[in-house]
Amino acid sequence: MKFRNYFLDYWIEILLALFGYFIVVMMLFAFKVSNQVTMGVTVLFFGVSFAILLIGYVKRRSFYNKLIYHVEKLDKKYLVLEMLHEPSFYDGKILYQVLYEINKSMNENVKNLEVSMTEFKEYIELWIHEIKLPIASLILMNHNHKNAIDKRYEEQIRRIDDYVNQILYFVRSENAEKDYLIKDTSLKKVINAVAMKNKNDLLEKNIQFIVEVGDEVVLTDSKWLEFIIDQIVSNSIKYTREEVSSIIRISTKDYSNKIDLIIYDNGIGIPAKDIRRVFEKTFTGENGRNTSKSTGMGLYIVKKLCEKLDHKITIESVFGEYTKVILTFSKNDFYKIKD
Amino acid sequence: MMILKTIMIVEDDKTICEELTQLLETSGYQVVALTKFDHTLEDILASRFDLLLLDINLPKVNGEFLLKEIRKKTNVPIIMLTSRALEADEVLSMSYGADDYITKPYNPTILLLRISNILKRLERSADVLFYDDIKVYQRKGILVKGEETLDLTKNEMIIFSYLLNHRGDIVSRDELMTELWNNEEYINENALTVNISRLRSKLESFGMENTIETRKGQGYKLL
Repeated sequence: MKFRNYFLDYWIEILLALFGYFIVVMMLFAFKVSNQVTMGVTVLFFGVSFAILLIGYVKRRSFYNKLIYHVEKLDKKYLVLEMLHEPSFYDGKILYQVLYEINKSMNENVKNLEVSMTEFKEYIELWIHEIKLPIASLILMNHNHKNAIDKRYEEQIRRIDDYVNQILYFVRSENAEKDYLIKDTSLKKVINAVAMKNKNDLLEKNIQFIVEVGDEVVLTDSKWLEFIIDQIVSNSIKYTREEVSSIIRISTKDYSNKIDLIIYDNGIGIPAKDIRRVFEKTFTGENGRNTSKSTGMGLYIVKKLCEKLDHKITIESVFGEYTKVILTFSKNDFYKIKD
Repeated sequence: MMILKTIMIVEDDKTICEELTQLLETSGYQVVALTKFDHTLEDILASRFDLLLLDINLPKVNGEFLLKEIRKKTNVPIIMLTSRALEADEVLSMSYGADDYITKPYNPTILLLRISNILKRLERSADVLFYDDIKVYQRKGILVKGEETLDLTKNEMIIFSYLLNHRGDIVSRDELMTELWNNEEYINENALTVNISRLRSKLESFGMENTIETRKGQGYKLL
């Protein structure tokens, strides 16, 4: 808060005061009062006027400067009122009260939205658990009547299940609640679960699935990690190259403070102009446009899950040669749950 | 004649329950399925079975609670079935004493595999199997006939033991493949063919001729 600006803001009052002063001075002249009295009145007038302005300024300065300072520093700016005391001057009191009311109404609004978001999320989760029952039934029926039912049915049911899983993890990744549990997880086991899930596709497309993973254990949520790796491997399966015999290789690299999990494939790769954007929501890129099945949500959800789990994910690729996704797990005892 | 193992299914979704029953029956198990859920705990405890498939979401009572109560009385193997894919649920179930935890929609072949693995682990005979007078040491990867021994690779042993455990039945290539992949041997169709023909010639050199029969379009059968 600057005094100059404050001062200029009172120009009408100052002009009025000056006008009054001139009238008084004129009257003093008219009554032929001695110059000393006029001087005294002048000093008194200017002194008092300036003091009034200054006191008003000082009072406001401490309040407004605090307000400006906290609004700048706070990352949750709406909490600024918590940092201030109610000011002593009248217009400040009004402002404070109004801010308080606005804040309260906003909080209520946000609360309502939160409640309806949570309700929506809970409904989606519930719905997913319900839809999984008919899917499970269909898969079992399919298996029980293997000879009577076309094999392509199985593939379509699996696609439905994949999409359902995608929305489940999308809802989980969007939510602030902790739906995950971080504990020691064997990479081998998670990879095995992913392999079993994609077995038919891998065999059908004759993709060599190579796993060079030892007994490494990382801190993560195994269900989330399974989804993450499944999305990456599914992409590798989707985008193979016809000219070469396809390979997906999963390996690890052990450092002193972290473990890298590297998922490599010799598929079609990602064009250089697209690679920076692959984690963006609904981004499909050139590859995605060429295969109609792409929604551009898979890697976006993967990225969000990784952020929540505090894993780093990077992707490197040469178009027409390979794609390499690297998941980095830090070795940190901080999250460890002791049994 | 082998005594059939009995599996109890506690699942309130009728279609899944029926299909599970059919799946298990065609795979050579006897099945008891609970149809009323008024006295679930009492009904389970009153039944006789070798393995329990227990759904987590049941009417009136929570599966995890049931699991805890059943564990107070018996050590029978229990596999939890659920459509909630939450790590916390799994950890909780396992800490309450479930032997396995499978998320819907499960792959039927994998479900069967998990069931047979748990039952086999329980019999404790998994270390040595017998094929007539030949001893099969799975861990060491050898067959022993009198003084002679035959070394098998890991893959060959997985295939041979699986066939042996289903002796007399036709085993599909898909089942063999699932078993191999489940053991972290991610081989392809060609490699499976190569492994089987290598296993055959090894067995032949060991005096076991024509023990593995090929059924065209169906799979293999150990005689």
